[in-house]
Amino acid sequence: MKPREKLGYTAAGLTVFAALLVPFLLFGFFTKGFAALGLHVDEVYSGGPKVRTVQSGAYSIDIHRPVHPHMLQTEKPFVQLDWRPVRALPPHVSELVDVDGDGQPDIRVSFDVPKDAKTPLRVIVETLNPRYEAMQNAGKEKFSKLIVRVDDAILVRVPLTRP
Amino acid sequence: MAGPLILSEALILGLASGPACIASCGPVVVPSLLAEHAGIRLNTRYLSTFLGARFLGYLLFAAVAWELGALVSLPPGPRMVLIGAIHVLLAGVLLWCAYVAGHACAQSCSGSRLVSIGVTRKRGVPGAAALGFLTGLSLCPPFVAAGVRAAELGSVAAALLFFAVFFIGTSVWFVPFVGLGCVARTEAVTTVARMAMVLIALYYAYLGMTILLGRKVYGY
Amino acid sequence: MATEARVLKLGETAPRTVGRSLLLTLPIAIWSFLMFSHSGQLGRSGKIATIVTAIFMITLFFMMMRTWSTYRWRRWFFVALGLLFPVGFIHNVMVMRGTMGIPIEEMIAGRTPFCYLPIPLLILPAAFTKTLVFPGSILPNGGMSGAGMAAMAGLWLAITIVVGKGWCSYACFFGGIEEGVASVPTRAKLRKIDPRWRYGPWAVLLAMVLLSLALFEPAYCMWLCPFKAVSEYVAARNTVGLIQNGIFVVLFAGLVVVLPLLTKKRTQCSFFCPFGAFQSIFNKTSVFDVKIDQTRCSPCVLCLNACPTMSLTKESIAHGETLMSCMKCGACVDVCPKHAAVWHIKGTEVAQTPERARLMFLYAAWGMAILFGGSIIAQGLATILHVFV
Repeated sequence: MKPREKLGYTAAGLTVFAALLVPFLLFGFFTKGFAALGLHVDEVYSGGPKVRTVQSGAYSIDIHRPVHPHMLQTEKPFVQLDWRPVRALPPHVSELVDVDGDGQPDIRVSFDVPKDAKTPLRVIVETLNPRYEAMQNAGKEKFSKLIVRVDDAILVRVPLTRP
Repeated sequence: MAGPLILSEALILGLASGPACIASCGPVVVPSLLAEHAGIRLNTRYLSTFLGARFLGYLLFAAVAWELGALVSLPPGPRMVLIGAIHVLLAGVLLWCAYVAGHACAQSCSGSRLVSIGVTRKRGVPGAAALGFLTGLSLCPPFVAAGVRAAELGSVAAALLFFAVFFIGTSVWFVPFVGLGCVARTEAVTTVARMAMVLIALYYAYLGMTILLGRKVYGY
Repeated sequence: MATEARVLKLGETAPRTVGRSLLLTLPIAIWSFLMFSHSGQLGRSGKIATIVTAIFMITLFFMMMRTWSTYRWRRWFFVALGLLFPVGFIHNVMVMRGTMGIPIEEMIAGRTPFCYLPIPLLILPAAFTKTLVFPGSILPNGGMSGAGMAAMAGLWLAITIVVGKGWCSYACFFGGIEEGVASVPTRAKLRKIDPRWRYGPWAVLLAMVLLSLALFEPAYCMWLCPFKAVSEYVAARNTVGLIQNGIFVVLFAGLVVVLPLLTKKRTQCSFFCPFGAFQSIFNKTSVFDVKIDQTRCSPCVLCLNACPTMSLTKESIAHGETLMSCMKCGACVDVCPKHAAVWHIKGTEVAQTPERARLMFLYAAWGMAILFGGSIIAQGLATILHVFV
């Protein structure tokens, strides 16, 4: 048998062997490899990492790092605020929030908390700091401008005014 | 007049904006380069024409907007109409380039001529220039960022110089595209490039028309 | 393989003996047992579905051994996969969230299920910014996030290393739909197809990769995937959403139903699918391929007509090979009356031991089919059986 043929059959044999290893070794190995690459889901979807929590009685407000769009994304820059847990929220929330942590309130966020989780939410955001955009009766128009209920939290995303 | 500090700021801003420039111009540059004939020299000529025309687009917009006092404060309505119109024009030019590239090859594949728009090559505007000029006017995010900074400078000459240096910074990132000249232009490659140009043109046409029609695009 | 029966008359092959066929099927039976016995806690319908699926896969492999042919038996599996995947998937989606439309809440929560189709689109944005432009989760995250994006990518890579572009014949859970549709008519009504349409998948891949980087979103999933019509789609919240969903339905109707009926080809795969173009790259790394033995070829071009993806041309036949888009489905090999089209291991002599090459490829590919497609078939079957059992 020529060396090329030996190489070919060896490679074919290794391929069959690799097939045996897929569920027991290769799958797990590659999965861990991809997970270890240090990639993260686009913050336009995930909302960015949480940077501060403000306690407000029985519930808290998580403030995330502002998210800025990449490349030609059509989303505006925004900041996400989470009110959790929903069961501890009053029927109507109207709250001044210091978003940038400078001790001064930046926005007032107002929304109703319906008992039925399927009821669409609406939010009004009044701005005290021109860095943030006001929202009038906003629902879930865009990733950068919405109010939604996710699990046991109500998320509000407030767009930032462009520089 | 802009000092060395301002100009180095322009260069760094340009270099930092490079990936975004590649991303925004890539859909236009890559398939149109691949639809051209092969060869580093020819592709360098194409890319230079594209970048030169893009530069003209930058400068033209910067000068006009500066004079109108509208470099940063162009109202959303007129700005969106401008963007919409440019996208539709870009789509039209891409479609025409795709058609002409196929037509030119079917007729006589002369190796050194750039694909032209127009009835005859002698009178036609080089496709690269048209595409470059339109992408230069398209108000992509890096351009807007440079515009904001340039608007703070004392004179239109300083603003134009700022843009010029910014442009050089972004153009460095386009140099690797010259390597596409090494790709053999088989029927497969040119056909793929032309089909891709059509698909991308359809997307730009859709985007432009929805903006012009005033429909909410992505909720805006 | 000195005792193998060979051609008796032109195009006629005596079946392999039952005993030998069973012997060759034994490793697959053992593999099936290993794979299906790890299916976890199953209800009654799940257990029945698992057993039926195992018997189904083993029987198909046995028939491949007995009849020396591959394509028609593989097609049974592939069509079953194409039909039962939507059954199981849509059922899960309806149970979990009550709608095929993905609400924005699920996207924000990272619970959008990840399929392999966007993999090539995510590479450049990830390379530039370490960001995955897909509203899923890297690790399992409840809901429809399944095993997470890392797991799907890991499984894709592992299987691709083994089968190369054979993914499109042994793993893709969408291709079976059009393969089934294409097999319905007895003859093609549309025979003349411009061969340049074969470049379509590469054009879609190039355009979608560039647009995905520019727009920072999985452009193919957002705009062009026909299989949104049988799985899930972004719930339309505005005009754009309505346009996108309309495009999916039109593309599905055209590329997956109408054109396969008219041409008897896998038109979505041949002329459109960017993932298929991406997988073609791995045909260069795969050790298995299909060759044409020039000493036996007429050429009658029966193989060219039989190929469901137009991966053979007169020029490629003259060169003794298939095109890069070959999915290793076996249609050309099975139809060739002179046994000129043969399975082949790179580096070896063409047609010296084609059955050995076929066997080695099939052990690898069918093993992957059982691992991945088999579990999906079982799940779909269990969904149906659950109604009755």
